[in-house]
Amino acid sequence: MKRFVHDRYLLFIGVGGAALAIAVALILVSVLGSSSAESTASPPTTPAPAPDVPASGVPAQPAKVPGAAATAALFKGIPQRLNQLGDPKSKVTMIEFADLQCPYCRDFAAGGLPAVGKEYVRTGKVKLIFSGMEFIGPDSNKALRAVYAAGLQGKLWNYLDLLYKSQGAENSGWVTDGLLRQVGDSIPGLDTDKMMADRSSPDVEAALAASSQQATSARVNQTPTFFAGPTGGRLQHIPITSLGPEAFRPTLDSLTG
Amino acid sequence: MSRVRDRRLRAAIAFLALAGAAVAAYLVYSRYTGVRLACTTGGCETVQHSKYAKAAGVPVAVLGLVAYLAVFATALSARVEAAAAGAAIVLGGLAFGIYLIVVQVAVIEAICQWCLASDVILAVLAVLTAERLRRLAGSPQAASGQAPMAT
Repeated sequence: MKRFVHDRYLLFIGVGGAALAIAVALILVSVLGSSSAESTASPPTTPAPAPDVPASGVPAQPAKVPGAAATAALFKGIPQRLNQLGDPKSKVTMIEFADLQCPYCRDFAAGGLPAVGKEYVRTGKVKLIFSGMEFIGPDSNKALRAVYAAGLQGKLWNYLDLLYKSQGAENSGWVTDGLLRQVGDSIPGLDTDKMMADRSSPDVEAALAASSQQATSARVNQTPTFFAGPTGGRLQHIPITSLGPEAFRPTLDSLTG
Repeated sequence: MSRVRDRRLRAAIAFLALAGAAVAAYLVYSRYTGVRLACTTGGCETVQHSKYAKAAGVPVAVLGLVAYLAVFATALSARVEAAAAGAAIVLGGLAFGIYLIVVQVAVIEAICQWCLASDVILAVLAVLTAERLRRLAGSPQAASGQAPMAT
């Protein structure tokens, strides 16, 4: 009997030990794998100039772009799917047509979006759709591809917001691979290597074609341009006189009220 | 332990292991075909495309599928070693699943409903496999191998 009890405890200890070993091994592999992905995606600390860095030279880039914490807090907990921000079942949809090089689009991201996000999106009343445009120049296309690639990982709005915070002069070559990686590395949970690889993927090509088609059919000829209306229904152009939240509240209040 | 009870436990474990394998197979299918996941939480794609969706280069869904099939295989045998192996796999998998829930909430900030479904299945399997092991190990005849024949 004593031998049986001894064997029984040995069995339980063995099973517990094996379970612990499985769990620790999996967690270690997961943690080490994700951190090595981050380190390979990070720019070198003493960088050789990247191929597309302007000849004038760029100072060594810090690991994260400015404002990363604020951006993470702004979108924390809000569902994202591709170019959509907010509860998919929201009764009201608002679409933003924007070019990543457009300073006014950046102003909306900095001025109106935080309050609109807090009052209407986070509360489940409105979902936001981003529709990118690329009419300003080559940097627009390069930035937009990265934004949509981040969207494939459900981080489009984080990426968009952070890229606006690093916006440079139009067509100055500011959208470098180094900056795109740096923005990616500033977003928790984003696989930067995958995002960079996905920029020319069929999904991103399809997103570019869809947004271009959407802008053409909506006759959008300037950015930013906003439309809002019942989800699944006809969306109306939002006439705005500023890019702060006050410009959007009347329309959104009447639609959600 | 009663042979009938052991059979019932093994049947329940086998059924749940197949259910878990079905969930994992759906995630694997989606990953390799690009078919979008049905998702009411809105975060399934985000989680599945995050860097935490792979361990040592292998998709976690593939690991889950293999683990569930292994647990199913252990339920086919009445031996105490099989019960022990099943319990070890399930308990280890559950601990890893809890770690991934923390990652989803705290790091990725998105919830994958299919991962949660798998975690629930694992939690129930953990109770069943532990109970099976406890009962089998509680029988002197079984401690060294085959489950008892007598009821």
